[in-house]
Amino acid sequence: MSERPQPAPEPRIGVDRLSVRFDLQRERVMSVREYLIRRLHGERFPSETFWPLRDVSFTVGAGESFGIVGRNGAGKSTLLKVIAGIVPPTHGGVVVRGRLSPLLELGAGFDPELTGRENIQLYGCLLGFRRKHLEARTTAIAEFAELTGFLDVPLKNYSSGMAARLAFAIATDSDPDILIVDEVLSVGDAQFQRKCEERLARFHARGVTVLLVTHNMELLEATCSRALLLERGAMVVMGRPVEVAARYQRGGSR
Amino acid sequence: MYALAPPLWGGPGSAGRYWDLLHTLVARAIKQRYKRSVLGFAWTMLNPLMTMAILTTVFSAVFASSLPSYPLFVIIGLLAWNLFALGSTQGLSSVVDSGPLIRKVAVPKAIFPIAAVAANLVNFLLSLVPLLAIVLVFRVRITWAVLWVPFGVVLIGAFTLGTALLLATVNVFFRDVRYFYEAALLALFYATPVFYPIEILPPAAYAVLRWNPMHVLVDVFRLPLYSGAAPPWTTLAIAGGEAAAMLAIGLAVFRRYETRFVDYV
Repeated sequence: MSERPQPAPEPRIGVDRLSVRFDLQRERVMSVREYLIRRLHGERFPSETFWPLRDVSFTVGAGESFGIVGRNGAGKSTLLKVIAGIVPPTHGGVVVRGRLSPLLELGAGFDPELTGRENIQLYGCLLGFRRKHLEARTTAIAEFAELTGFLDVPLKNYSSGMAARLAFAIATDSDPDILIVDEVLSVGDAQFQRKCEERLARFHARGVTVLLVTHNMELLEATCSRALLLERGAMVVMGRPVEVAARYQRGGSR
Repeated sequence: MYALAPPLWGGPGSAGRYWDLLHTLVARAIKQRYKRSVLGFAWTMLNPLMTMAILTTVFSAVFASSLPSYPLFVIIGLLAWNLFALGSTQGLSSVVDSGPLIRKVAVPKAIFPIAAVAANLVNFLLSLVPLLAIVLVFRVRITWAVLWVPFGVVLIGAFTLGTALLLATVNVFFRDVRYFYEAALLALFYATPVFYPIEILPPAAYAVLRWNPMHVLVDVFRLPLYSGAAPPWTTLAIAGGEAAAMLAIGLAVFRRYETRFVDYV
């Protein structure tokens, strides 16, 4: 891929000194009884904090593809969840400009009791599509997912590959401005994966901003113009994918 | 900057998206309820009718003299009570039940208790048709006072939603609140004149129980249908005030804590 321009002055995604704290002790569900007993005993609730993200800042411009790499537990998924609006920031903040389509946890809103058609409505509405729009697009979505004959079958009778295909087809059946991709390219068989990659490449060509989390350094270098390496929640290096990949493969800062 | 959800659920056009999601969730809840039973919608009416039959058999000797058309008195009260009891109970667990979704999709969380209450409201509205038939069987004169009925439904709905929002929040942090609530609900049922006239209460009990919000809320709905009379202005004012206060409290508490839900559900 050719050199991409530097981020535009008005970034699509702005992450500003973002930190997220999990409170391991307190963030545990209690019973009223347990809580009252501990309160009566004057017991303090010792806090054991863990920072999945510490002071992370970056911007991603329009049309840019930005890669995030790091080992398991480095904070990649938490970062995507904050940008997608699922996890609130503890400090700092996030700005997102434009329509965001998160390809994380594909099919999280599926109801196995409902049919494929009904799940297109349910999952689509959860992702913010209008009912009318979804009704009109149902055939096209089913076609892309290669599920045309299965629309009125309950989802519990789908294979996991079929459900994943449907989820991908719904989530990408729009013109997003920003696409968040968390290694979902491993959906379905080789043939369907090619279709997914083609669709993502089309988005890319249309100038959609892509945020990609991956362990695949070849994919990173092939598709991203910039990348960020996270380690235990903190930024290690940000820059050209080749350099970031090299640093990642050396084992971060150690 | 946003802290909770991307512009999808706050920017232009989000009201339409919110409405569509609510529509889908309510349709699913109603479909689920009727898919599992042979009798389907008939249960919505059969359940209160059976409770009515039991209460009538047991208590008509006691109350029928002071309450003409006693079964009608009971069924109207029961329907209003069930709207509150079912809506608030299902609302209580709605957020925790949607935990997997809340952890994975950016979705406005208040939609879950709202959908739980709305599904029960739809059910309730459907049951008004058979109720009207029963009213006619008892030859109660339908008067203009019946126009107060929708107002009563709105008030009970608002009170139920406020309760559901409050309980759903507490349930995220304390999972055993459901058991406390079930016990409280039973007590509240007996403290609400569903199957007895408020007049039978001794003055001391009345002094306490008149503050039970469900007492006036049931009255606003029942009086126009049962007696063909408009509810007194004091009853309307108290019921309106209580419904608005409960809704405000529920909303305030829910909004105060909803950003922390994702760590607990």
